[in-house]
Amino acid sequence: MAKEPKKKGDSEQEEEGGEFDEFMADISQEIAKRVESLDTKPKAPVERKKTPAVPDAGLIVEWPNIADRMIEEMR
Amino acid sequence: MSVVNYGTREITCKIVYYGPGRSGKTTNLQHVYSQLPEERKGKMVSLATETDRTLFFDFLPLDLGTISGFATRFQLYTVPGQVYYAATRKLVLQGVDGVVFVADSQSRQLAENIESLQDLHANLADEGLDPRTLPLVMQYNKRDLPPVEISSIEELDEMLNFRDVPYFSATAINGGGVFETLRSIASLVLSRLSAPAVKES
Repeated sequence: MAKEPKKKGDSEQEEEGGEFDEFMADISQEIAKRVESLDTKPKAPVERKKTPAVPDAGLIVEWPNIADRMIEEMR
Repeated sequence: MSVVNYGTREITCKIVYYGPGRSGKTTNLQHVYSQLPEERKGKMVSLATETDRTLFFDFLPLDLGTISGFATRFQLYTVPGQVYYAATRKLVLQGVDGVVFVADSQSRQLAENIESLQDLHANLADEGLDPRTLPLVMQYNKRDLPPVEISSIEELDEMLNFRDVPYFSATAINGGGVFETLRSIASLVLSRLSAPAVKES
């Protein structure tokens, strides 16, 4: 791994918050890249609720046909 | 262990500053704290004895806000360097994601630096962490002292940096090298971030 010694003297003291802002800028980029790379990984399949194939007992699902029949019988 | 938590949209990393007593670990955290904008300044917890030595540990929560949709937090800790606080050092190392080893550059402190480094390796191994792969950065502090009192960077690196990890010279007392060190360890830790294991149904 590359070595990167850094030196900094007393006179280079930056104004308050400046160093932190630089740090934030660098770290934000790192995190964005990392999150993006992890986000492309395949995700766990989401379990979906299936519509029941058979309707519950007593539930009228073909209402228009039944209405037509009732009207027909009432005539 | 740092984890990108997609459920809670959180990233939390724990970084520990390790090293012999009086090497400047607390000073590093104090400088980071001094540079935080007011709106990000949480509480820096520091428990010290009446002689100002770190008794238990320092804790600085660094809330970086929301980055790429994730609430990001770095937790910075120091350990007490004094030999007799071994149990505290072990405790603080639990769940660590990265270590900054703060070495005292004074020539007469070389043996203490080596002893502390050995102590770090032993404690990491006890915690089931591999000292050879855990993100680590070396900081050679107190470079502002007279040259006759301090070892050269090359000497220190030769004696302490077995893994050839990134190293920084620092004068933490005036902030020199503090953020460079933090940036380096943060970068190493982030490169190892992992998504939580997906449970198979």
